[in-house]
Amino acid sequence: MIRLLPTLLLGAVLAAGPAAARTLVFCSEGNPESLNPQLVTTTTGMDATWPLYNTLVEFAPGSTTIRPALAESWTISEDGRDYVFRLREGVPFHRSARFRPTRTLTAEDVVFSIERQWKADHPFHPVSGGTYSYFNDLGLPNLLAAVEAVDPRTVRLRLREPDATFLANLAVALGGILSAEYAASVRAAGEPGRLDREPIGTGPFSFAGFQPDVALRYRAFPDYWGGRQPVDTLVFSITPNAAVRLAKLRAGECHLMPFPNPADLAGIAADPGLTLLREEELNIGYLSLNTTRPPFDDVRVRRAVTLAIDKEAIVASVYGAGGTPARTPIPPNLWAYDPAIRDEPLDRAAAVRLLAEAGHPEGFEAELWYPPISRAYNPDGRRIAELIQADLARIGIRLRLTTQEWSAYRASMLAGLPQMALFGWTADNADPDNFLGVLLGCVAARPGGSNIARWCDPAFDALVTEARGITDQERRAALYARALRRFKAEAPWVPIAHSATFVAARREVTGYRMDPLGRHLFRDVSLRDPP
Amino acid sequence: MRVGQRILLVGGLPIAIAALIALAGWLLLAEAERARAGAVLAGTIYRTLTVATTVRDEYLGARPEERADHAERFARLTTDAAGRLADLRHFARTADQLARIAAAQRALSESVDRMQGLVRITRENDGLIAEMADRAAALVALADQARDRQRAANTDLVASLTEKARRLRQVRDVVAAVNDLRAAVAEAEIGASREATGGGAGVPLAANLVRVRNAARTVAAALRDDGRRDEAEEVLILAAAYEGSRAGAEPGILAAAGAPATLPAPVNVLGEWSERILKLDGTAQRSLHDEVAQLLAYAVQANETEQATQNIALATLKLAQRTADALSRRDPAAARAMLEEGEALSGTAAALPISPLIQGEMIDAIDGWRERLETTIGRLRRQNADIVEMDRLAATIGETARGLNELFITDADRYGESIRRLLLIGATAGLVLGSAAALAVARSITGPLRGLQRDMLALAADPSRQHLGAVERRDELGDMARATRVFVDEIGRRERALRRAKEEADRTLAELRQTQADLIQAEKLASLGQLVAGVAHEINTPLGIALTTATLVRDEARDFRPLAAGNQLSRSRLLAYVDRVQEGAHLLAANLSRAADLVHSFKQVAVDRVSDERRRIPMREWLDELLRSLGPLLRQGGHRLDLVAPETFEADTYPGALAQVITNLVKNAVVHAFAEGRPGRIAVALSREGAWVRLEVRDDGRGIAPADRERIFDPFFTTARHRGSSGLGMHIVYNLVTGRLQGRIAVESREGEGTTIRVEFPVEPAPEGASRRALPAGAAEEHSA
Repeated sequence: MIRLLPTLLLGAVLAAGPAAARTLVFCSEGNPESLNPQLVTTTTGMDATWPLYNTLVEFAPGSTTIRPALAESWTISEDGRDYVFRLREGVPFHRSARFRPTRTLTAEDVVFSIERQWKADHPFHPVSGGTYSYFNDLGLPNLLAAVEAVDPRTVRLRLREPDATFLANLAVALGGILSAEYAASVRAAGEPGRLDREPIGTGPFSFAGFQPDVALRYRAFPDYWGGRQPVDTLVFSITPNAAVRLAKLRAGECHLMPFPNPADLAGIAADPGLTLLREEELNIGYLSLNTTRPPFDDVRVRRAVTLAIDKEAIVASVYGAGGTPARTPIPPNLWAYDPAIRDEPLDRAAAVRLLAEAGHPEGFEAELWYPPISRAYNPDGRRIAELIQADLARIGIRLRLTTQEWSAYRASMLAGLPQMALFGWTADNADPDNFLGVLLGCVAARPGGSNIARWCDPAFDALVTEARGITDQERRAALYARALRRFKAEAPWVPIAHSATFVAARREVTGYRMDPLGRHLFRDVSLRDPP
Repeated sequence: MRVGQRILLVGGLPIAIAALIALAGWLLLAEAERARAGAVLAGTIYRTLTVATTVRDEYLGARPEERADHAERFARLTTDAAGRLADLRHFARTADQLARIAAAQRALSESVDRMQGLVRITRENDGLIAEMADRAAALVALADQARDRQRAANTDLVASLTEKARRLRQVRDVVAAVNDLRAAVAEAEIGASREATGGGAGVPLAANLVRVRNAARTVAAALRDDGRRDEAEEVLILAAAYEGSRAGAEPGILAAAGAPATLPAPVNVLGEWSERILKLDGTAQRSLHDEVAQLLAYAVQANETEQATQNIALATLKLAQRTADALSRRDPAAARAMLEEGEALSGTAAALPISPLIQGEMIDAIDGWRERLETTIGRLRRQNADIVEMDRLAATIGETARGLNELFITDADRYGESIRRLLLIGATAGLVLGSAAALAVARSITGPLRGLQRDMLALAADPSRQHLGAVERRDELGDMARATRVFVDEIGRRERALRRAKEEADRTLAELRQTQADLIQAEKLASLGQLVAGVAHEINTPLGIALTTATLVRDEARDFRPLAAGNQLSRSRLLAYVDRVQEGAHLLAANLSRAADLVHSFKQVAVDRVSDERRRIPMREWLDELLRSLGPLLRQGGHRLDLVAPETFEADTYPGALAQVITNLVKNAVVHAFAEGRPGRIAVALSREGAWVRLEVRDDGRGIAPADRERIFDPFFTTARHRGSSGLGMHIVYNLVTGRLQGRIAVESREGEGTTIRVEFPVEPAPEGASRRALPAGAAEEHSA
């Protein structure tokens, strides 16, 4: 009997030979705006870069705890301004048909990756558009004082002032480490843009191809420092419509899908072939009112809009079970949440009066942008836009609904084009500053910044900046409470909802974990053999 | 000219000529035969190779699994041809033929090499073709999988679409019903306001209210269908409230016209409610509509994709078959065209939105197939080149073989002609030459033979006569004469040499004898020296005691003298003095007499040693004295020497020789018998056996090795030359016993248990010279002295 066993095993191995390449398919919700983590700001884009790249430090799966990644250890000086990272040894970069790395990861790559985003005179700074929105929104250009390679395995980062959020900021996508050697080779070939189009990283998967609107393909990187992946191929099958995503999931054309339609949640939960995964994400879906564009430069108009929108109806009909009406940008599961702040009730008459005071007794026309794809914070942009359209029509504001393809949409948002726009945010780290500073601070209000309401309120900004510099959570909470009241009074946004996020997966998927930061990560995800 | 040669000339010449002719004829015949066989062989090779080429063509045309047989047959045929070519070398006669055979062999071996290459390439190509077929089949299987999955998906999709369509219809029904309700309410309101302003004949209010009620019921039904019972109840209540307000409270409205309404009017509530439902369901309707549209689009697209996938798989399969055909036709150009088609196919597969689950595998399968095909085409080209080259080689070999065949046939014909000519000429010449030579030779032999006969007879009569007449001759007769002369000379020289050698040997023998005698005498003197040393030691003891005693007596006397002179002498003192002197004198006498005895006995022994005269001696006493003289010899090693002599008797013998014998035997035992540092025991046993005295010297030492036992009496044999032994002691013993004592000697020894040497000699030996004959039988073998 025992003798038989190896033969049987061998048979099993042979049967599972080359024909049965293991392919994991993720029906993603849209095209990534770039394949360079330094250039992306949407979770769709970040999801596309996570398989390819590693950061110095990373959030442990399923949590927001920071753990070593490419840096095997680090030290922070007494004054909180010097960060010294010791790099993991022998981390290989991907190979491609046109690039064969001759060396493993060194401090040079880290310096390159940071300086590209930081230094305007860096040769790669203008490549692929040259906007590093997220890097700028986090205030890193002003925070960084020096980046230097002490030796091939040691990097020192010096800050101008201590920053409690710095380590967490290095763990977000923009902290992905690119190959300086690859950059030099594409630059020598006169095609620097290939650095971002044909990415080379250290991650668990290497890039295999991208067909916009169809698929993004990866291959398992056999020499990945964290071990070879259990699947051979990873495919993002780009499917914007949630109903089609679900159809594909049911058909087995994909193994995982994000953002199911809230209306389908019950059906998914009941399907024996599927698993529904839920995570209380740190996010906010909001209607942004561009404070630099008339008529929304008038706070009375913004307040009138706030008063006229039936938020409860939107949450109940579009978000379903996972949604919570939002009062401020801070989600209820974050420590800076202030339950004392409440929404004013729906009051059309007051809204009409405010409009009249602001000089719009007969209302006005405006453009409302809605996102073309589903997000946790906005499962159906079009329908929310239509509901808002109906609500505002009642007070005389006639809305034209408009949208664009997702990456173009995002670019328009960051450019500050729309008067009114539905947008949202999923935190990249569990710090309130990731909402208030990044989305509403004055730094982020410059062109290209993610403060799409372009609201720069000195009082608010001062409070948030002060809170960022201190570590005592209670004191910070007090400062944020004041800032939030200021936000309510000025109404640059109509906060709409916080939402739990859902992923539907086929039963054969193992090892997938929901991420509190809304990322979809496929490292170490495997497929059980179908019965 | 010698006799033999002459005879040979006479008898041999005709024979030789005949033999030569026969040999030449035979050789020529063999050559002709060989040429003919070569021609046959060349023809066979030509035919074999023709068959081999056919077999190769069959090999190429055969199905892959049948190829092995043809390849084997080709190998057999070419091996056969190669063997025959090698054989053909033996038939070759000219350098030209050899060169042609070598060329054919080279071409054949190259041809075999090419065939091996061809077999290898063909096998690899067969493998590749099979693998390509597998890949195409895998592709079809993948497409089938995709289709199966798509079919299952279609079922799901239909269910999903049906559900969405149902929801859409319900929502649309709700929206339509709400719109109807709003219209009915508006109508009723218009009617009511007309009535209030007295606007004349419209539809009566009641009818309008009924219409509102019915519309509300329709809305409620639509909502219930959509599973929204709460909202259904709401609309009925709101409608009833409106109806009530309109029908029963007409004045209320009028009254309310002037006063601020504290509660919203039912018509407004109903209106607001309708607005909200319209807003939510309107957007939901649009959203559902979108979803249905998207799902339909997806369904269409998925089926198109599936179709495209199938098409690609089928196209690949067809391409694979056509490629296999092209490959079996050995047409690289056609296969190359397939390669390009494959590339287009791969591009199509990459561009189509094929299921991501299999797209990568499909592309990989096509690309892998193309890669294999590329290799295969390259090999096919090489294969074709090989075939052309093999054909050329086969033609070369065939041509060579045919050429050889003709050459060999021509050779065979020429040899036949040569044989006929040779026979005719040879026979005639042989006959004439033979007869003439015979006559001349016979005469030249008989004359000299007679001369030699005369000379030999004269030499037999007088050997010293050195002359032989025929010596000068150069033929066999001269040889005989010279041999005879050498023979006579040799006999004389040997006689002289023999005489000289004998004289030399006699002289040497005499010298040897003298040397041996000298050595024996030296040994005897040496043993005498030892005797003297022993005597001196023995005498030393009594003399020492005597001297001491004498000194004591002198001292006593010196002490006594003053007493006597001074008259102080007491009687007791005198008596004591006398006692002491008496005692001293007694001691002196005893010891001096012992010394005298010793000297006497040793003198006798020494005299015996040197005098060697015959005398009558008491054996036991004599032996006792002798052994005592040997004391010092033993003391050195701490050995014991005992005499065992149960009876006393006299013997008339040669005491010198006997002493020498016993001394040597004891000495021999002391020197050889015992290991260093281990004291031993030596016993000398004396007994009388009738007319014979038996003397045994026994030791309990290590014995004598069997190999040495036979040689101990040999002169100069010793195992202790390093300790100064001369190797003559036992030889002397043997000579004395068997010579002077006229006795016999025997050795018994067992290794580790000791040695016994037994000497027996007559009590009364025969007078000198007559003793030899008296030796008893069984005595040791004689040594010449």
